[in-house]
Amino acid sequence: MAVIELDHVSKYFGKFAAVKDLSMNVEKGEFYGFIGPNGAGKSTTINMILHFIKNSEGRIRLFGENMPSANVDVKKRIGYVPSDVRFYPQLHVEDLIRYTLDFHRMHADRKELTYYCDLFDVDLRKKFGDLSLGNKKKVAVICAMIMRPDLLILDEPTNGLDPLMHARLFQLMKEKQQQGVTVFLSSHNLKEVQDYCSRVAFIKAGHLIGVEDLTTINKNVKIITLKGDRLPVEQMETIGAECIRRSDCEARFTYEKGLPELFRTLSELAPKLDDVTVDNRDLEEQFMSMYENQEATR
Amino acid sequence: MTLFRLECRTHLKTLLIWIVVVALLTFGLLSLFPSMKSMGLQQIDLNAMPKDMLKAFNLSDMAALATVKGYFGYEYQYVMLATGIFAATLGTNALSREETEGTISYLYAQPISRLSIVTAKMIANVLLYTLYWLVSMAVAFLACLIFKESGASVSGLFRSFTQLTFTGWIMGLTFMSVGFLLSSLMKSNKPATSLSLAIVFLTFILGVVGKLNDKFQSLIYFSPVDTALPSAVFKNGIEWKYVVTDLIVLVVAALLTCVIYRRKDLKV
Repeated sequence: MAVIELDHVSKYFGKFAAVKDLSMNVEKGEFYGFIGPNGAGKSTTINMILHFIKNSEGRIRLFGENMPSANVDVKKRIGYVPSDVRFYPQLHVEDLIRYTLDFHRMHADRKELTYYCDLFDVDLRKKFGDLSLGNKKKVAVICAMIMRPDLLILDEPTNGLDPLMHARLFQLMKEKQQQGVTVFLSSHNLKEVQDYCSRVAFIKAGHLIGVEDLTTINKNVKIITLKGDRLPVEQMETIGAECIRRSDCEARFTYEKGLPELFRTLSELAPKLDDVTVDNRDLEEQFMSMYENQEATR
Repeated sequence: MTLFRLECRTHLKTLLIWIVVVALLTFGLLSLFPSMKSMGLQQIDLNAMPKDMLKAFNLSDMAALATVKGYFGYEYQYVMLATGIFAATLGTNALSREETEGTISYLYAQPISRLSIVTAKMIANVLLYTLYWLVSMAVAFLACLIFKESGASVSGLFRSFTQLTFTGWIMGLTFMSVGFLLSSLMKSNKPATSLSLAIVFLTFILGVVGKLNDKFQSLIYFSPVDTALPSAVFKNGIEWKYVVTDLIVLVVAALLTCVIYRRKDLKV
């Protein structure tokens, strides 16, 4: 069952289309990445999903229920970590968590709360307004987790977190996903998306430009980078490599065929070159390639 | 209920400050009454002053100033304006503050409808204003009892204060509901205080114009302060035509607030 369904969703601010004809499904138990550059429409999409703003066109369904009519019911099942955490500064962390539970008509499980506080090193007695950016983020994560959501929506959750807390957060989310929680992660950090997400949607200028299955993205495609004064582009193309980027002294290729032929060719070419590298195609490469293709087709 | 508690807690400090300031002001003003009276307050000749000006300042009957009711009625109209500003500020800040401070991203991520947000905030702010107003009136009544002239009727004073408590409550709620309406339209609470001042003073000026010129008498209906002018309430009792007008404004503004806020794109 799809937990998040967007069906031809658009959002206009005046004549400007912040999101245009966006359709995607996030399935139950998925760790779904949502990436795009600044101003691409990621936060606008999340704001529409959570009904902070209304979609101008299309239909949004959460847990199979139409939004916004099922707004209150579905939000009982959603934990949300905003990119800019601005909770009530005058409240102590413990009060904030208690209010969150009260909104959900739940009682604090002291053991669970202690576990999260220990995990993220959060002091319940501090005032929220006195916390650093990273600590505010941790409190937002605890508030989202403590009500045991079925869907976690995380908008740039690692901003301000140190590497240790970053790792703990993702470890926790991975555990939650394994327990059946759906995770929707909007991020600029391609590494974390690549490491944890099973699928990723790319958005640019309000348009969905592709959805990739990350379980297969790295396996077949190699990225070859050649550096030197005289770049053997034609020779590479004869073995099936596709030049994806080229400058005066550097060329990048994608290659999906057999490795023996690739390495034979590279060993012949290597003496004429300054440097040769072969990598698995990562998300960044995929991201850049999708964006460039989209630019080219405009 | 959770938001109601949160809203009450958020405003508790402001409420206490307003109560203390207004109580001190009321006590201070009334403590001057015995000495003013002994200085011959009622013998001041106001005929030299333009009649319109006296009307505008609700000072047409100087003899009444020699009684604690008359003195209080004149002095307290300025506290009434401040009360209107307090009530309007509660309203104008209520919804827009969440967007300015970004707390709406926490609040609306909870399982709560927009209508519940508006109603919880309205109920909380009505309670806060009611508390403020009841304490203010109790302090004023107590001060009047302490400083009243000899022979002044306590029961008469109590009846007048009961009427003033009611009309002042309606006045404040009217300003608050207009404030709520503006708050539902605003994306930021930055202009909230200046808007509150503008609402109260503009409507007060409309009332003054209505009193100065018979042709514009109907403008008084647009002035909630005139519903609860202490000098008028003490003299004429409750003027129901103004109370009903205020109630209509209050209900319409509250309903419009709900409709607008439900359709609004929240600034996150």
